Amino acid sequence: MNLLYATLSLILAYFYVSIASLLWEGIDRKLVARMQRRVGPPLLQPFYDFLKLASKESIIPRNAGKLFELAPVFVLAVSIALLAYTPFGFTPLFSTKGDVIVFIYLLTLIGFIRVLGAINSGSPYAQIGAQREMVILVSREVPMMLGLFAILWRLSKLGVSKPFSMATFYEHNIWEIGTPLSFIGTTILLLVFLAWLASEIEVGYFNIPEAEEEIAEGPMAEYSGRHLALFKLSNSLKEFISASLVVAIFFPWGIGSVLGLTGVAALIVDVIFHTLKVFAVLFISMSVFRAITGRLRITQAAQAFWLRTLPAAILGALLLAIDILEVIA
Amino acid sequence: MNERLEYWVKIPVGPIHPALEEPEKFIITLDGERIINVDVKLGYNLRGIEWIAMRRNWIQVLYLVERICGICSFSHNHTYSRAVEEMAGIEVPERAEYIRAIFGELERVHSHLLNLGVAGHAIGYDTVLHLTWLARERVMDILEAMGGNRVNYAINMIGGVRRDLEEKHRRMLLDMVKYYREEVMPKIEEIFLYDPTIEARLRDAGVIPKRIAIEYSAQGPTARGSGVKKDVRYNEKLGVYPDLGVKPITPKEFTGVIKGDVFDRMVVRVGELWQSLDIIEHALDQMPEGKIKAFAKDNMVIFKLKKAEGEGIGRYEAPRGELLHYVRAEKGRDGPAKWKAREPTFPNLFAVARALVGEQVADIPVAIASIDPCLSCTDRVAIVDAETGKKKILTEEDLLRESYKKTKEINPKLKIKPERIGVGCMRGGVL
Repeated sequence: MNLLYATLSLILAYFYVSIASLLWEGIDRKLVARMQRRVGPPLLQPFYDFLKLASKESIIPRNAGKLFELAPVFVLAVSIALLAYTPFGFTPLFSTKGDVIVFIYLLTLIGFIRVLGAINSGSPYAQIGAQREMVILVSREVPMMLGLFAILWRLSKLGVSKPFSMATFYEHNIWEIGTPLSFIGTTILLLVFLAWLASEIEVGYFNIPEAEEEIAEGPMAEYSGRHLALFKLSNSLKEFISASLVVAIFFPWGIGSVLGLTGVAALIVDVIFHTLKVFAVLFISMSVFRAITGRLRITQAAQAFWLRTLPAAILGALLLAIDILEVIA
Repeated sequence: MNERLEYWVKIPVGPIHPALEEPEKFIITLDGERIINVDVKLGYNLRGIEWIAMRRNWIQVLYLVERICGICSFSHNHTYSRAVEEMAGIEVPERAEYIRAIFGELERVHSHLLNLGVAGHAIGYDTVLHLTWLARERVMDILEAMGGNRVNYAINMIGGVRRDLEEKHRRMLLDMVKYYREEVMPKIEEIFLYDPTIEARLRDAGVIPKRIAIEYSAQGPTARGSGVKKDVRYNEKLGVYPDLGVKPITPKEFTGVIKGDVFDRMVVRVGELWQSLDIIEHALDQMPEGKIKAFAKDNMVIFKLKKAEGEGIGRYEAPRGELLHYVRAEKGRDGPAKWKAREPTFPNLFAVARALVGEQVADIPVAIASIDPCLSCTDRVAIVDAETGKKKILTEEDLLRESYKKTKEINPKLKIKPERIGVGCMRGGVL
């Protein structure tokens, strides 16, 4: 794969994911509105919002630092970089050995840059939002990483070419081990991942950093105009990318080969199928979750992660480990 | 303690903030997420209603008090009518009292449904907001059909009510009661008594102990949620309410415990919804035939009140708590010489501000929403110079002077002299 070809595909992926994720925002808003017996906004409302925000003047607070203006750009840049390591139904564009770690690192970096931008905005609401974002950030990553590495380790035992890479998921998937213990362990980890996804995109219980009624959108409190538009776009990208990880781990099957397609046609079919799977995962973890829950306190959310999700992840990982030792047949 | 002081942060919640429906200001001192101190600032909603009222006649004030607040439009004008009736010794026909009771309970149903939704919204549970407000549409439609308006139905008249209840209204009301009993209330109970999110967020948040509730003279569901059995309709044997079987609702009947937290206040509201539906049914059953007004025509009221003298106090249990109106009449004057309203939000606000100390930032919106605040008083404006941060407080006199200056600017031919009316606000000096 030469460099020009890779760059072109990255740009293509960027445009595709931008449109798909903004479209999902529209679908999500419509679906939640129907669940709440409302009519809801038009399907293309997120596009209108983005275009309108992008055309508006951005107000910079007097006390804001330089990072306040740079943060949205950085966040979008990191999101685009993430796309190079995101599985879209096939091995990621820049797949290397251990790219899963780069993926997690970049995903966490988005939250971190948001915090930097918020702290530099000079608004007390943004400060509180930044504190909350940090607490959630350190709480949610631990169970997720434990689950992810447990699964990768289990898959590497099946013999893969590049362990700890996204490509692993497309060589073997976790369900094909087939023993009862691995099945139970994987189901528990799937629940852990759905909880992680909900907190990554900050909906329902975990809409704590951006709590609109409490701290007026928290880290986003002072952003407006173009800067806000960039944040909105990168948030949508992040939703799609995080859901892509869950899809790649648990539902990696493509239909291109089943339909007997090859080459570009198979790629396109796989990408579209992957997008549908992402929408399905987001529907459960975002739309339904958002409609049936409210926001927790930050202490309750941290407790939920450390006392519920982390033990669940440990249990899932242990089950996978016991399974490979073949103590219980 | 002192070396910790530097980590404390003061954040303003208000005057304009997503958590608040109306302008008010809470200056909150924070230590991380924990609240150290809450300072309440009022006075962003001055419309000079009392000043206006003293320049209107008795009947006009009825329509003015109705516009103090959009939700309690019946309560205010009912309480005002009661005050005037007490002052002038006017007997209200029994049928009118029953119609008042029905409207009062309809208003309570829509106000409580609104507040339950707002509490859901305050914790980010928007589905609750949309569904309770959808259920509220039914009672709003009934009010529109019976009173002519969704909000300001202007049903009271001094010495009676302005509209009679017809047979079709009776049928509509019974249908509505059935709809709420069978379709809405089971869902509301399921949400507010058993939903895990609601329980996690509302339990042990913003606790007002019974002692604080009594000391701060909390009113309405705020007091009853803390276990104070206080309901003017019951304690004062107001009007026909004793015949309708009113009793103060406490959370004990539903959950078995009284903690005085936000959850309990919401449970009280759920209980009062049930009670209101019962009262409407009883009132429809027991309502006698007869007159609905003590005076056939409105000018007879004015004529009678012009001769009246003395003072009167009207009390009524509005959805938010005890509402009190005071009027004083002078002979030969066709309007009140003095009129004063005390909203239940005023004592409740300070009780909840006290309750917030030691809680988390996340509890602020829901604790404030739990008293169902409704603000309309005070008379000061502070001008803060953004460059220097200096504050200047404008008193009534300054405001009058500024207004006259502006009027002169617009119309230089106008010949007016600044004149200060009333004593102004005794409170304040500090803002």
